[in-house]
Formats: sequence, structure tokens, C-alpha cells
Amino acid sequence: MPRVVVCTWGLDRGALPPGVEEALTLGRGLAEALGAELVLLALGDLPADAQALAARHGARAVERAADPRLAAGEPDALVEALAQCCRASAPRALLFAQTFDARLVAPRLAGRLGAPIVMNVADASLENGRLVVTALAYGGDTRAVYEVAGEGMAILGVSTTAVRAQSAASATTPPLTEVAVQLDAVPERVRIVARAEAKGPRLEDAGIIVSGGRGLGAREHYALIEQLAEALGGLAGASRPIVDDGWVDASRQVGLTGHITRPSLYVAVGISGASQHMAGCSAAKTLVAINSDADAAIFKHARFGIVGDCKQILPELIRAARERRSGGG
Amino acid sequence: MRFVVCVKEVLDPDAVNSFAVAGRLRIGDDGRSFSQTAIPRLMNGFDEQALEAALRLRDAGAPATIAVVSIGTDPANILRHAAALGADEIAHVDADPAGLDAHGTTALLTAWIRKSGPADLVLCGRQASDDDQGVVPALVAEQLGMPLVTIAREVMLEAGALRVTRVTPDGDEIVETSLPAVVTVSSEIGIPRYPTAARKIQARRAKPDVVTLEALGIAPADLAPRALLVRQLVPELHGHCELIDGSPSESARALVSRLAAEGAI
Ligand SMILES: Cc1cc2nc3c(=O)[nH]c(=O)nc-3n(C[C@H](O)[C@H](O)[C@H](O)COP(=O)(O)OP(=O)(O)OC[C@H]3O[C@@H](n4cnc5c(N)ncnc54)[C@H](O)[C@@H]3O)c2cc1C
Ligand SMILES: Nc1ncnc2c1ncn2[C@@H]1O[C@H](COP(=O)(O)O)[C@@H](O)[C@H]1O
Repeated sequence: MPRVVVCTWGLDRGALPPGVEEALTLGRGLAEALGAELVLLALGDLPADAQALAARHGARAVERAADPRLAAGEPDALVEALAQCCRASAPRALLFAQTFDARLVAPRLAGRLGAPIVMNVADASLENGRLVVTALAYGGDTRAVYEVAGEGMAILGVSTTAVRAQSAASATTPPLTEVAVQLDAVPERVRIVARAEAKGPRLEDAGIIVSGGRGLGAREHYALIEQLAEALGGLAGASRPIVDDGWVDASRQVGLTGHITRPSLYVAVGISGASQHMAGCSAAKTLVAINSDADAAIFKHARFGIVGDCKQILPELIRAARERRSGGG
Repeated sequence: MRFVVCVKEVLDPDAVNSFAVAGRLRIGDDGRSFSQTAIPRLMNGFDEQALEAALRLRDAGAPATIAVVSIGTDPANILRHAAALGADEIAHVDADPAGLDAHGTTALLTAWIRKSGPADLVLCGRQASDDDQGVVPALVAEQLGMPLVTIAREVMLEAGALRVTRVTPDGDEIVETSLPAVVTVSSEIGIPRYPTAARKIQARRAKPDVVTLEALGIAPADLAPRALLVRQLVPELHGHCELIDGSPSESARALVSRLAAEGAI
């Protein structure tokens, strides 16, 4: 039976990294269309929730390649281990939740195996027996539809904001199998000298985010963004231009090439709503826009909006949010 | 030493954005490219930043020549811009990117690199702003058997080793690897320099070395795409925004209570 494999590695606070459920959801649809079985492949550690999650998503099997170098997320080891797994079991499709690390590992694997690859995938289906893949392009302004040639393995990077995670109609009881990989002959060519260490909570995990953009007008007004974020119990984010101009650190950037967030509340202040910014916040449950231009694109994405000068509105919002917090409002 | 910088000509993403926001972005008869002809073409922003990284390395004393290569139908303008900025060689590999996938692009780039001379460092953008794939540099690294370092904000050479600061979701990471290597550059490296007027005028006469598939020993069949762009669609945006009116203080209070009522705060 053909296989559709969703691969994952690295623990995110003891659990699977974000996006695996979305990749399993897309993978299940594809497996059904292909008459294939869905498999979850964990490299390195097996997170405690992996098997239950695979079961909920209708996977037929959970496989694990155990190796400390895989658990440590070494890219050369990951690419080689995946290449060995793919050569041994020849999946029809290999899916990655498109995390930061996957953006490096997936294309290198494609290069090694000569496999077709599409990133930013929002959908995959069969048309006249051919694998057809829809991906986001131009930051999300368009959808690019690719036809994948041949019957060999395709590698897909699943955009975790363009797919809604959904459990299978009926759960499975996937058995766990260990798979062997041989990594002794694989040197790690890139050496980490200084590891990134998250300073404080991450935008990815935030329930509430208040972001400021060029419409703030001046660097000093970013303090209002920070104050509103604090008053709402959230984190402060930013659009790219004010990062480029050095108003705030790059670690605040939300968007296609910044943090991909999914808060319950996202407040965009002085941000026009370009697709590349929305790629990092469109998964927010409730989006609020504050912008002086009633025609700004951000209002097409927002649930609530205030048209006006953010420098006048922000102090009032901070006050109202603080009052509410202290039980006064 | 020789640095190779790979640059792609793309449609101005801001202009595409403006058309999209105005609901006026249309796909032409071929089903996959825009019908608007007025969209300017320019060097992919991250590629300009990759070139900036090469120039900074040379400014810092690396004894290197800089070769800039682009696969396209007519990338002379962006190549002249590269020459004005200080590229020593500019090369145009003559093929239409619309008919290539990442493997085809990679086959051409690596064939040109092998033919034109050794590359100690290959610099690319982190992704092209049209397809947003971010795949070609990794394929190039695999084809050339080189290590790959992605999403750089700073690239330095120290005693022949490469030291790169990467932008990760958790903050900066510093890595080291040996040359030759492939590095992709991100916007965090900073706004690229602009050529002086004198160099711009000088570069007007610069002629890219035009390289054909035959010269690279590649037959069109070798480039048959494994993932072919067959259609492009423009999704429609249906706004349902509830605008909250009033004075700043009225609208702020109203918004906070609406959010509270919806359980958003
Ligand atoms: C490949 C690529 C990747 C990118 N990645 C990202 C990314 O990761 N993140 C990102 O954010 N961008 C990214 N961009 C840039 C993106 O395309 C936009 O240029 C950017 O998001 C615009 O930022 P902005 O909305 O702050 O600024 P602008 O577009 O300049 O908008 C400013 C807004 O502020 C409003 N305004 C002005 N004055 C006031 C006022 N007094 N009160 C209230 N509102 C006011 C204006 O009406 C306007 O809508 C990327 C671009 C490319 C090409
Ligand atoms: N047609 C091309 N010519 C030269 N370089 C390219 C071309 N296409 C892609 N590249 C390089 O590969 C990077 C990533 O492209 P992509 O994988 O298409 O997102 C770009 O930023 C360029 O550095």
C-alpha cells in the first residue's frame, strides 16, 4: 500500500512542534485520495502526545528513528536519516510542518533525492491521477498551483496557517515501530557556536499580540504598543519596516519572514495589511485594526476596526484596558 | 577567492500587493501570469541583500572577486545594477524561469558555477518574493556538496572559516562552517547600499556575459520540471469588519467592551 508520511522532530516543551496536526490533516486527505496509508515518522525523541495525536488523525502507523543527533536536531543527520527512511520505504509523499528548521531540512532532502518539492502548501489533491499541489505565493496575494510529475515521492512543506487542523472521522490505534538509521558516516558540517535562546515568552505562543507598524510615525510611539500589550496581558509585535528602520528588534517581526503567530487576539496598529504581514497573523481568532486610512487592506481582514490616528486612540485604549483589568471598567 | 551571488528578477511585490488590495490583480490568458503589464521588474530584495553581504565581506578585507548570475529572459537591468554596486562579473543564463522548477534552476546555476570557475562562497536570497519557495539554495548546496547556512543577518570570514549569525524564531544563532559553502541572506542584514551616480553611469555600458543552455551542455529535456506551475489564482478577500465610531475615548471603551463580550480578552 502506498504511504503518505508526515515527519517531525524536536520537542516543543515536551510536545510535538506546532503545525504537525495541520500536516496530518492535509496528509490524511491526500492519503485518502491516493488510497494510501498515513504514517507519522518521529526523528529522535518521541513526544508523549505523538501516538495519541496520530491516532486522532487516523494514522495507520507511528514510526520512530531514535538517535541522539536527531533528537538534537542536527541538520546533516536529519537529512541523511530522512533520505535513508525514504529509500527504504518509498513514500508517495513526505510532508513537513513548515517550521523554521523544516525550511532548511526539506529542500536539502529534495536536493539529495532529486524529489519534486513544493513549500507553503495549502492543499494537495489528485487530478486525473496527477498530484496537484496548491501553495501560497506573493506572500499570499496569489495561490500557485503546481502539477507534480511522475509517481515518485513528492516533498511538501505544509503552511500551518493555511490549513485548519481537523481530527479524522474515526480514530485509529497505530502501532509504534522503530526504524533503523545509520549515521556514523555523516559529519555535521555546520557547528553551532552560540545557540539562540528565547528571551522571555515567544510570539508563537502568545494568546494576545499588539503589533505596531510604520503608521506609528516615530520610534518613540512604539512604547504605546508595549503599554497596550502589557495592559491586555499580551506581547508586542511589529511589521517589517519598523524592524528594518531599527525602531525595534527583529525578534518582534510578525509575518511571512518573521514570526508565524496564531493568537486569539491580534491588534494591528498603523499596519496596512500587506499579504506578507498577514501571513504571520491571519490565523488569529479575532483581529482588530487601528488605521487612519479607511481603505487600508487590514480592514478586509479585521473583525473590529477603528479608523483614526493611532497616537490619539492608543492612550485611550491603554486606559480602558487598564481600567478593565483593575476591575474598574 | 570567488563569491557567486545568485539574483532573480521578480515583479515588484509592493506593486502586486497594491493591485491585490484594490481587487484588481488579474491572471492573463495563460492562466498563470498576471495580465497587468505595468508591474515593474526588479532584483529580488533578499538577493540584493545577498549581494550586500558579499560587498561587506570584501569591504572587510576578503580578497575576493564577486560574480553575479541570473537566470532569466532579460535580467540586464538588475545585472547592471549589480555591476554598479561592484560586481566584477555579471552573467545572464538565458532561460525562462516560468518554465523551470527549483531543480531546473539549480541545474543551470550549478552548471554555470562549474563552468565559470570555482565558487568559495555562494550567496543567495532566503527566498524569491514571487514564489516564496526558498528551495533553490538548498538544492544548489546539495548539488555542489557544500554545507548550507540559511537566514543570515551577518556573514563573516575568520581565518578562512565562515561565521554566520542566523535569525531564528528564538533569537540569533551563531554558526561556523568551512568554505566552500552556500549561505542565504535575510532582510535583517539591513538596507542594501545604493550605487554612486558615477558608478551607475559607468555600469550602463556593462554587458552581461550571456550564457546559453548549449554552452552549459544542457539539453532542454534535462530541465523538464518535476513540479510545474500550471495555474495561478487570486483569492478574493471578503471583509466583514465592524467599524467602531466615536471620539478616541468612546471608540476605545466600546472596543474593549466588545472584545470582553466576545471573550477575546
Ligand atoms: C518577500 C517579502 C517578505 C516580507 N516579509 C514581511 C514580514 O515578515 N512581516 C512584515 O510585516 N512585512 C513583510 N514584508 C513587507 C510587506 O510587504 C509590507 O511592506 C509591510 O508589511 C508594510 O508594513 P506597514 O504596514 O507597517 O507599513 P505601510 O505599508 O507603510 O503601512 C502603514 C499604515 O499605517 C497607516 N497609518 C499612517 N499614519 C497613521 C496614523 N497616524 N494612525 C494610524 N494609522 C496610520 C497607513 O494608513 C498605512 O496603512 C515582506 C515583503 C516581502 C517582499
Ligand atoms: N532565476 C534565478 N536566477 C538566479 N538565482 C535564482 C533564480 N531563482 C532563484 N534563485 C536564487 O535562489 C533563491 C531562492 O529562490 P526560491 O527557491 O525560488 O525561493 C533566490 O533568492 C536567488 O538567490
